Amino acid sequence: MLRESLTAVIARNETWAGASATEPYEAGWATEAVFFVRALKAGKGAPVEAHVEISPDGMRWIREGTSLVLPTVIDELAVARVRHFGNWLRLASDLPDQAEATVLVSLHLK
Amino acid sequence: MSLTSLDGLRRAMLSADPGLSRFDPLPRIICHDDFDRGQCGWSQLIGNYEGDLDTMLPGYQPLTNPMLSTLAHWEGGSHGGIDGSYVLKLATRAKRDTATVGIKRLTFRKAGPIRLEFYMAFKPEANTLALSEQDVKSVGFLLDLQGSDQGGDTGQRVMPHLRYLNAKDGVLQQKWQFKRAAPKIHDINGGEETVSHFHLADDGWEDLPGGAQRLCYNEIPTKVNWHYVAFDFDLATMTATRFTCNDRTFDLSGFDSIRMPAMKNLWCMLNLCFFTETAADKRAFFYVDSVCLSGDF
Repeated sequence: MLRESLTAVIARNETWAGASATEPYEAGWATEAVFFVRALKAGKGAPVEAHVEISPDGMRWIREGTSLVLPTVIDELAVARVRHFGNWLRLASDLPDQAEATVLVSLHLK
Repeated sequence: MSLTSLDGLRRAMLSADPGLSRFDPLPRIICHDDFDRGQCGWSQLIGNYEGDLDTMLPGYQPLTNPMLSTLAHWEGGSHGGIDGSYVLKLATRAKRDTATVGIKRLTFRKAGPIRLEFYMAFKPEANTLALSEQDVKSVGFLLDLQGSDQGGDTGQRVMPHLRYLNAKDGVLQQKWQFKRAAPKIHDINGGEETVSHFHLADDGWEDLPGGAQRLCYNEIPTKVNWHYVAFDFDLATMTATRFTCNDRTFDLSGFDSIRMPAMKNLWCMLNLCFFTETAADKRAFFYVDSVCLSGDF
């Protein structure tokens, strides 16, 4: 049996400002996950971090410990790799005033 | 072996297979999607665009990616599926009146009868300790079909839609609706190649005559019960022939589909979609555990 593998686009052309996050995604079947973030438009403000978050229920979130810097140049990529995440995953960021990022976020699971 | 005994053998094999015996498929099983084997080709619906994703119609922007779920709840743990761990889950955003869609894209080999069967359940996100029965607006399904390129210039794109309108504006509705009003077709980015239409908007839905039905919502937002749905459609005449949900089979004499002129690159299209809409600023979840699409060919 071939190993399961799935790519989910969990934010598409979303402009993040202030407290922002991808929609909750269930991936309990997978043992590893890779987040890619691609800038679709030029960012505004200084580069800011985004954090992988995990959850017991899809509603209450805690940082997993892995972070990336949101890309600010069009088509620039950032990546974060995680394991042992349980079931729920999301990527979250708290952008300061005047900062903005338009992102494509994909989640690659296997 | 005679035809009669062959048919008997086929029925016996279906009956002996727990995954298929809960369905009543036509002679050819086109696909049988058990989500313990992955997402089985059910993907996110993407609106049409050209040059820039900003050209996508607004109704398509908030659509989300389907996922495999164990139907886990904060106080009860994983609910699981009918006979396995995983189910297909569609989740809207937590914004009133938004929708999401899961789609499977096929084409057909023969313009004849097809049957879509599936087991479904729906619930709002359980983020309040309340029944929340009015928080899911609707769950539904549609087919997106177009005839053969050999059908001449009179071909049509035909989109039968059915939704269970659970609640609206805080009031339970609990009835099936259909849609036949064709949505406006937009040019995308002013180009000549790409058009789009948003067919899931809230306007144009009509009550299916006799379509009131109370389902098993259960007593708290984390108790889930599965419902059987079957829809028969004849690709030769492009008409719906039968619609069943659990113990009810509905009269389709008043039903029709969205119909529009054939499009230049959709010949023999056979797309299946599930969708859900939320009636509150809370995510609506639509779960499907096994789907069977069959045809008479």
